[in-house]
Amino acid sequence: MSRYIATRAIRGANALVGEAEAMLEQALSEKGPDTPVAFPNTAYHLPVIFGMTGKEIAHLGELPEILVQARSLLHPTPSREHWTPYLGETLDSGMATLLAAETIEAIRYVYGLQPESMPGFELAGGTSFTSPDMNGGGNQPPNGHLNGAIDDIQLRSWGIQLVDGRMPGFAAIVGCASSNEAAVQIVRELQRRNILCFLSGNVNGHSIIDQLHEEGVELGYDTYTVPFGTDTISAIYALGFATRSALTFGGLKGGQPREILNYNKDRVFAFVLALGEVDDLKYSAAAGAINFGFPVIADTVIPQILPTGITTYEHVVSMPWNEIDGANDTEKAERLVQKCIEVRGVKVRVANVPVPVPYGSAFEGEVVRKADMRAEFGGRDSRCFEYLKMAKLDELTDGKIEVIGRGLSDVPDQGSMDMAILIEVAGRQMEQDFEPVLERQIHYFVNGASGIQHIGQRDITWIRLSTKAAEAGFDMEHFGKILHARFHSDFGAIVDKVQVTIITEPEEVEARLEEARAAYDFRNKRLADLTDTAVDEFYSCTLCQSFAPNHVCIVSPERLGLCGAYNWLDCKASFSINPTGPNQPIKLGRIIDPVRGYWEGTNAYARIGSHGVVEEVAMYSIMENPMTACGCFECIMMLIPEANGVMVVSREDTSMTPAGMTFSTLAGMAGGGIQTPGVMGVGKYYLISPKFISADGGFKRVVWMSSVLKDGMAEELKMVAEREGDAELIDRVADERSVTTVEELLPWLEENGHPALTMDPII
Amino acid sequence: MPVEIPKDSWPGSVNTVTLGATGDQGGSRTSTVTIGGEQSLPFMHFENPTPHRPVIAMEVAAARPADWSAVLLEAWGSTLDDPAVWARACEDAGADLIVLQFGLKGSDDGPVSAEFAVEVVKEVMDSTGLPLVVLGPGQAEIDNSILVPIADATKGERIVLGLCEEGNYRTIVAAAMANDHLVLGKTPMDVNLAKQLNILMTDMGLPLDRIVMDPTTGALGYGIEYGYSVMERLRLAALQGDAMTQLPMLVTPGVETWKTKESKVGAGIPDEWGEWAERGVNWETLTAVALIEAGADVVVLRHPQSLVRVRAAIAELTASETA
Ligand code: SF4
Ligand code: SF4
Repeated sequence: MSRYIATRAIRGANALVGEAEAMLEQALSEKGPDTPVAFPNTAYHLPVIFGMTGKEIAHLGELPEILVQARSLLHPTPSREHWTPYLGETLDSGMATLLAAETIEAIRYVYGLQPESMPGFELAGGTSFTSPDMNGGGNQPPNGHLNGAIDDIQLRSWGIQLVDGRMPGFAAIVGCASSNEAAVQIVRELQRRNILCFLSGNVNGHSIIDQLHEEGVELGYDTYTVPFGTDTISAIYALGFATRSALTFGGLKGGQPREILNYNKDRVFAFVLALGEVDDLKYSAAAGAINFGFPVIADTVIPQILPTGITTYEHVVSMPWNEIDGANDTEKAERLVQKCIEVRGVKVRVANVPVPVPYGSAFEGEVVRKADMRAEFGGRDSRCFEYLKMAKLDELTDGKIEVIGRGLSDVPDQGSMDMAILIEVAGRQMEQDFEPVLERQIHYFVNGASGIQHIGQRDITWIRLSTKAAEAGFDMEHFGKILHARFHSDFGAIVDKVQVTIITEPEEVEARLEEARAAYDFRNKRLADLTDTAVDEFYSCTLCQSFAPNHVCIVSPERLGLCGAYNWLDCKASFSINPTGPNQPIKLGRIIDPVRGYWEGTNAYARIGSHGVVEEVAMYSIMENPMTACGCFECIMMLIPEANGVMVVSREDTSMTPAGMTFSTLAGMAGGGIQTPGVMGVGKYYLISPKFISADGGFKRVVWMSSVLKDGMAEELKMVAEREGDAELIDRVADERSVTTVEELLPWLEENGHPALTMDPII
Repeated sequence: MPVEIPKDSWPGSVNTVTLGATGDQGGSRTSTVTIGGEQSLPFMHFENPTPHRPVIAMEVAAARPADWSAVLLEAWGSTLDDPAVWARACEDAGADLIVLQFGLKGSDDGPVSAEFAVEVVKEVMDSTGLPLVVLGPGQAEIDNSILVPIADATKGERIVLGLCEEGNYRTIVAAAMANDHLVLGKTPMDVNLAKQLNILMTDMGLPLDRIVMDPTTGALGYGIEYGYSVMERLRLAALQGDAMTQLPMLVTPGVETWKTKESKVGAGIPDEWGEWAERGVNWETLTAVALIEAGADVVVLRHPQSLVRVRAAIAELTASETA
């Protein structure tokens, strides 16, 4: 905690509590202790005081005890010599400031000084109240004054949207922007993102409210911009609003300060935007906001408080307006608002995918034939690749889409063009390991657009664009729009910013391809290094329990899910995105048997996940406690006792196997979530894992496998053969082209010198 | 020879939930309904008594239903034109609860609106003193658009608001929290999805004694076994102590059975199928009783005769307890 901020906040609080005491004393003598005090149209009394202390203040005479409490929270300003962490004192001062500020506003209501009058000002919707001193009266918001406190009706309407996420959060803007233009742009940027703006405060007598008013911006409930008052004290209404949100929607009661503050920290994505010079009072009010977990972003030079603690991320961040990168106020405002969103961790939702063609998963399987094609990228005549990488938050501008090189109009009909799709994402929860997980989604995201066909991934990407889509106005930038929208909507939990660069300039494509290939290589190595012994957590997957209620999938780095769709990294990312979802980490704990693959954690999970049906699971054996299967296995493995080995049948193979059964008959035996030693459903990439039935002798046990597997994974299997020290190994494995009965199998294996015949008995 | 009946003793139990609030409790209902509390599988009264019998809710459509079986139209006659009259008729027929179901249509065939919804709810509440379950058409946005104003307009009544699903649970839960209502969480026939939704709802601070779940079920002959099995597993997990499955269950055999061919079609079918109305009532009754056996705490029915028969079945199932 900065001593500077602590000093000023403490000083501000001391001053304000003193001011409140003086005002209260005067009010008590002029109006008497029985004078009612209330904010208009609320059932929550003076909300901050009610929330923090549980006191239901209704009369002036009840306020002194609140100020006594406020005073008890004050501390002397830190001395120059002794360096202590001032956080506690600063937060206390903040709280004292809030109690004093609310007391002051309550007294001002008594005197008819709130809502603050502003001649000539018209509210675009606001709290209605009846005060004899004000013009209008009745239930219409009369003109000539600001809004003051928000009423309960509006609280409900906005509060529910804040809770359910339709409204991402609110900004308490305090002070005065560097220019009217800047004020307008900042508010516009916030409104564009559906963020509610509460306005208060001034700098040298000029308030952001004046600035917006001068520029003709309508302020009021209807425009999601509420002018509280032109002094800092009126910012208390923002915290009254926050407190009431917790009371209304969080099921909390007055006098539960801790719970109310935590509720706000966890669920109300609000922040303070301090514009212009920050004086003592603003520091102390800011300290009050920090109690709620609301960070402060200033557009001037102030000391920062970066470490997290009370707020989720940084506490105080300085982003001086004149140092913000940007050609004009609009760009600067955009950056500033981005920063606020980042610091508070506000999640912005992108509702739909802004492309000129229909979009949805229904279009994923669409094929674009050559005759219907406007252009293609990749394939035989051009190069196309896609590469997603993680960047730092401040390196990216969310939503920025840049096209470098020619556009679609430069491509002849049915012609082709080089293309690179570079996606940079940043997020607080993003990890480098998630890059490939996200990158694989490009295929689905792009395919969702009607008239676009996407095949392959990495540097074998091949995209076709139909004439119809092109006629509808689909152009290169729309690839970026799709990706920006979808990464936000599907991966918003880990991705805060997405920036896309589409490159069609051949030399640039070439240069970037180098970089991408280096990254692909790096990831391949990373995957190879990602062994079961290198991690201390596996993941569960319960997606298939809806069909096979007691089936448990345990996914480890070296054994992917039997459906082939979920590997360890996918599960890890899925858990980050959806912490209550189907993939949960399994802490491994003590290793019981490294050969067969038993851990305390995996066994415990097997029991819980199978509801007591399965006691233990061996990660690396088909013979002892094999993993169960539901039904969607890519391959079925089965023991062939005569051959002292196993066969592997692919789902795509419909022919007869040496076990005397076809895949579909075997599936009945392997599925259903039951442990059957000697039978197991697996994902095909498990075949090439070093941990492939390693307890039973590994890949050398495979005596027969469907030819589609041999052909489809030829490269990978070649590496397995080398690893096993027999380059000819795959050729020694029979398939349905050579052998379909167990009688034929044995002589064939002998003839081809299969190693299983001389291995230890598998049973 | 005396036979020793083995008894299970379970560590967990189902939550007790009270629907509706009387005048003293901040509402306007003349009675409340309490469900849940089971400590054993259904009707294993020799292990533990059934604390609260399963209850029967009758479904009342907010606007005259366009797609209901002629059998139902005949049974209810002109009451169907006025939800308030209909709800009253249900109360008179012996229902424990009213399920007020909104469709996509409001008055005069226009789309359902917040004003229409609030008005119908108020009329129904004026005509019956029974606790209410209010359900939207099941499309997240539309459900939100009517349930939030309904919740605001009926603060304190402990109405069960639904559907609360993955897509809109935040809104519905917030509306319930702000107005002292309950919610009905609905998930598509899957134990893990049901648990997940319960976790998400309680994470928002909604107490467990204000949630009822609809794990989704099918009609007899139309997938009842899936629904039955999911309910059974949820209940077993609840008794084993898994807090996120310990919610009382509400299921809708009325909706499910009256859309089957057997209940809906009266002409051009084999004679062996028997009399139409009798068949429809049987279908609904049998489905409802099966689901009660699976652990349902509330069954929502449509035909007044089914109400009588299911009521009798419940009485029989609990007879030895009260004897
Ligand atoms: S088969 Fe795949 S989807 Fe199913 S539980 Fe296993 S990993 Fe999950
Ligand atoms: S068979 Fe498929 S759908 Fe079936 S449970 Fe398994 S993975 Fe899932």
